[in-house]
Amino acid sequence: MEKGGKPGKGSLKSTPKSLGGKDDNSMKPKRGRKVQFNTEGTFNFSSKSDGKTESLFNKGGLSKGGKGNKVANAAKASIVKESLPLELRIEPELPKNTKCLMDCEAAHILEGIQEQMVLLSADPTIKIPLSFDRGLLYAKTGSHYTNPQAVRGLLETLSKLGVTNGEICQIANVCPETVEEVFALVPSLKKVVGYIICGIFQAKSSTLSDPLKDVLSELAKFKKSR
Amino acid sequence: MFFHIVLERNMQLHPRHFGRNLREHLISKLMKDVEGTCSGRHGFVVAITGVESIGKGLIRDGTGFVTFPVKYQCVVFRPFKGEILEAVVTMVNKMGFFAEAGPVQIFVSNHLIPDDMEFQSGDMPNYTTSDGSVKIQKDSEVRLKIIGTRVDATEIFCIGTIKDDFLGVINDPTTI
Repeated sequence: MEKGGKPGKGSLKSTPKSLGGKDDNSMKPKRGRKVQFNTEGTFNFSSKSDGKTESLFNKGGLSKGGKGNKVANAAKASIVKESLPLELRIEPELPKNTKCLMDCEAAHILEGIQEQMVLLSADPTIKIPLSFDRGLLYAKTGSHYTNPQAVRGLLETLSKLGVTNGEICQIANVCPETVEEVFALVPSLKKVVGYIICGIFQAKSSTLSDPLKDVLSELAKFKKSR
Repeated sequence: MFFHIVLERNMQLHPRHFGRNLREHLISKLMKDVEGTCSGRHGFVVAITGVESIGKGLIRDGTGFVTFPVKYQCVVFRPFKGEILEAVVTMVNKMGFFAEAGPVQIFVSNHLIPDDMEFQSGDMPNYTTSDGSVKIQKDSEVRLKIIGTRVDATEIFCIGTIKDDFLGVINDPTTI
């Protein structure tokens, strides 16, 4: 039983390690800085241990600690950038004449088609594809709301604040209970707030979270009882 | 996520179908050809919802076939990186677990399962927390996040994670 678990555990451990590696990087410049302070009186070349990092500092010339800080910051910035691709970016990847559908809307459309399919299935040459059945099943289980139009209407109020159609559908599909849940699952929404803060509405820092709260409490009324 | 999209396709029709029912023949051929197919750009074509227009036919040289440009609306399903999906677990092994969300297959590696969940082998292999409160096994419903996609000619395969806030088991088949 444990045999299987062990490699998993070991590999899981490897992730924090790699994270630790990043910390190490930020540590190194500090060490490098120390060495530089020590060698300031003599020569920069005298520092030995971490050739790479120190040569960086040497390039910085007779640099002061400030440079070292910058390198550390740059490393941190790249870590932040790495997490960017995980944000949901639907619109740029799809053609213009595309409309995102919430699961409940899709379920509504596909159920309508299913009724026609029953008629068509009398014709043996037409086979109902597997992906239709799976898609319908997924849409049905994934639709948390009873009234797709009302949900759409409610969430579209957010589009005025810069929330995209894709994000709106994602919120509806997730069926969140709290604002924190929305921000955790759709991280691109944090940017919307950031944008608004930087832009026109400087005073209203929580522009998105307040209307979101209202919308979520309204949405709860349309929730299907499971 | 599901999308409603307008697509275009050149349909070739044999002359024996010409006549009063040409349009019906074209549409049923379109359904047979397109529904259930998969492409990297659009994802799975789940169903055709309507035909916008059928252009003028063009006779192909050397054959009697006529090509019609057909514009049609359809519902497609395509997973995106960063998207949250609710999927049903289909298989669990020590490498991780497989799950399905509609027509899409998703693999969640054990690297991307929370550290406190351990693999338990046996008749019903599963991932369980040390206190046994949370269990992932076949038919469990999980909420996961897509972090990578690979498109094949006939299917889309995804890599997912449940190692994040608000992700993980939604309901356990054993507790119902």
